[in-house]
Amino acid sequence: MALSLALVSSGVAVATSSGAAVKKPIIVGAVIDETNTMKPFDLPALQAAKIYVDQLNATGGVGGRKIVFKVWNDQLKPTLTRSDALAAIAAGANVLWVSCDVNYATPAIQVGLAAKVLTVAPCIGTDQMGPSLFGSAGKLAFSFGNAPQSDGAVLARLLINHGWKTAAVVTDKLLAYFVTACQDFSSAFVKDGGQIVSQSSFTSFDGTAAAVAGNVATSGADATVLCATTTPDLPTFVTALRTLGNTKPLVGLWSMDGGFWEPTSLTVSNNIWWATFASVFGDDPSTPVRALEAKMAAKGETPLTGGFVTGPSAVQGIVLAIQRNHGNLNGTKLAAIMAKFHNVSTISGSVSFTPTQHTVVGRSYRIIEVTNGKPHFVQMLSPGPLGS
Amino acid sequence: MRSKFRLVAELVGPLAAVAIVTVFGSTMSIAQQGNVTNILVTTTIVVALYVFTGNSGVMSFGQISFVAVGAFAAGILTAPTLTRQANMPSLFKFLSTTQISNFDSLLLGAGLGALFAFLVGVVLLRLSGLSAGIATFAVLEITYDVLSYWDKIGPGVMPVVLVPVTTTLVMGALGLGVAIVVAFAYQRTRSCRLLRATREDAVAAQGIGISIFQHRLIAFTISGAIAGFAGALFVHELGSISTGQVYIDLTFATLAMLVVGGTGSLWGAVLGGIALGVLESFLSNAENGVAIGSWHVTLPNGLSVVIVGVIMVVVLIFAPKGISGSHEFLERFFSHRPAKAGTGTEPESTAKMTDEESSEVPLSPRPTS
Repeated sequence: MALSLALVSSGVAVATSSGAAVKKPIIVGAVIDETNTMKPFDLPALQAAKIYVDQLNATGGVGGRKIVFKVWNDQLKPTLTRSDALAAIAAGANVLWVSCDVNYATPAIQVGLAAKVLTVAPCIGTDQMGPSLFGSAGKLAFSFGNAPQSDGAVLARLLINHGWKTAAVVTDKLLAYFVTACQDFSSAFVKDGGQIVSQSSFTSFDGTAAAVAGNVATSGADATVLCATTTPDLPTFVTALRTLGNTKPLVGLWSMDGGFWEPTSLTVSNNIWWATFASVFGDDPSTPVRALEAKMAAKGETPLTGGFVTGPSAVQGIVLAIQRNHGNLNGTKLAAIMAKFHNVSTISGSVSFTPTQHTVVGRSYRIIEVTNGKPHFVQMLSPGPLGS
Repeated sequence: MRSKFRLVAELVGPLAAVAIVTVFGSTMSIAQQGNVTNILVTTTIVVALYVFTGNSGVMSFGQISFVAVGAFAAGILTAPTLTRQANMPSLFKFLSTTQISNFDSLLLGAGLGALFAFLVGVVLLRLSGLSAGIATFAVLEITYDVLSYWDKIGPGVMPVVLVPVTTTLVMGALGLGVAIVVAFAYQRTRSCRLLRATREDAVAAQGIGISIFQHRLIAFTISGAIAGFAGALFVHELGSISTGQVYIDLTFATLAMLVVGGTGSLWGAVLGGIALGVLESFLSNAENGVAIGSWHVTLPNGLSVVIVGVIMVVVLIFAPKGISGSHEFLERFFSHRPAKAGTGTEPESTAKMTDEESSEVPLSPRPTS
């Protein structure tokens, strides 16, 4: 109940059907990964979205029309991703829902754009989901994830607020997201008066993470900023860093969220920080978020990372666009409305888009700190307004 | 006469298999046609692998490099120039402004694949055995890194997008047909027969003056051309390309197809590509639910990979030379028919041959059982 009330009060009104006639459902065709490396990101977002949709449908849906998710597991295979998206469109999808990495999702995104269907990713973390990568066709593409400029800016602010004035930056070159986020951190940090004392990189799976940590350990920086994912190299990197005597803060992106990857040594898993969408450690400051987590846990779908809130957030955005379009599902019109979102309140926080920026910028983050092996919520932190 | 029938069968068999798959695929939904098209394109890559690995006996993990080069070249030069200039601002100017047709991009893919393979081959093909295999794997790694990070020739870690989708089911079939004809024509050449001799006994072959390096280089270059051509087909099938799509997964998938089909024959390459492709595609789709008559089958997520793995192991245990036995289509039929007494149509193995006929017989012994 708390979640339902919060979602309604967040600005997304739920229209209740007064008629008894069954109206045609709104079909969201989800082409996501349920078996491969994107599963930890795609699946919790979808599961949380379904919980929200169930509540929405129970109160009448959108203008009397229920939302129905039809899901295809693309297994991150490019051809299957494309054919699944074609199958989703053939099945009458009014909205296409895609995986949380733009490289993997592109074959599906292009099918959605060609079919002139609103194409939404819950948590793509680059700013490529939109016109910046797909040109004018990309006007129909949106992500409810945070843009890397935001990620970089919030990390810079975190360091400056704590008086950590020098940083060693380490980038995992596996994904464009990591590269861009670290670049954006560096420019924001320098702009805020910080100093980058070293820049280094590895690529996940290349076996060099420990060697890079060895170089960083003696850099003398106040903090190490790491743009990388959790497995396979993060535990190795952290262990090497701490073993070599560097106990200074290690700060990272949402991709470090979850805590499941932490080494068991309490001296190693200490003084580690990251910025994320929600705390999955039972202490999120938002009542609706905690209620949603509880519902997911009750269904045996306990989320590992805070990205799950982007799922219901994306549904809220889709619903609002449909309502503002008076129930019309024309993809081009829905996209034009969505591009005008300004501080739309969702369960994941405030969502804004512009005609050229179709990934969320400026939303507040939860800062998580690991102390003696225990992750916990520390504070809300905003990256500041666009372009700051 | 029988030799000519056998020759015709060697070519017609694989082409007929492609035609059957294409006709069957044309009855399916648009979405499923995409999967069938992918099977044809992937089989084209397997044929490219066969041309080198099958004929030389040297396992190559690097042929996907040539697929990648073909795919990226074709993708970049056919994507809208405005998209390129926006997404890839650091491109060399000629890459940023040159626009070619989709057909030309297929030829370009083949040409670049051949050129790249030739250059790599000049350096690597003096190696043998495991060293050669690891060296080709290193080429794959280098290609992946260069394409991922050198933003003057590509989009770096981002995908190439908005590439025209022109590899339809029919185009995929035509592309594979061309690859089969080229592979067939090559394996009829003297150079290929000499290469096969080096595969069977390198020391003896060298002893009679055969240059292993020269004939491997020819096969490697032709293989690179077919691989680059397949890469161009691939990018026009997907409408986009990123480096991860032409890397280790595709390398091992296509090698598995070749090994399961039978490394020693063109028919094995085609059969392996189609058989494993169909199986893998069916099982992947079954994870989303498929109807078989009145039955609706839904496999648990992830099970398709396990089943494909188990089937591969079973096939390799019971048919170590692959499901084709490394024979060409109907080869055993023609090889085993006894001659009628007094007709002059003796079995090939014992018949006297004219000079012209003898030049058509492989130097290396073919498996006959």
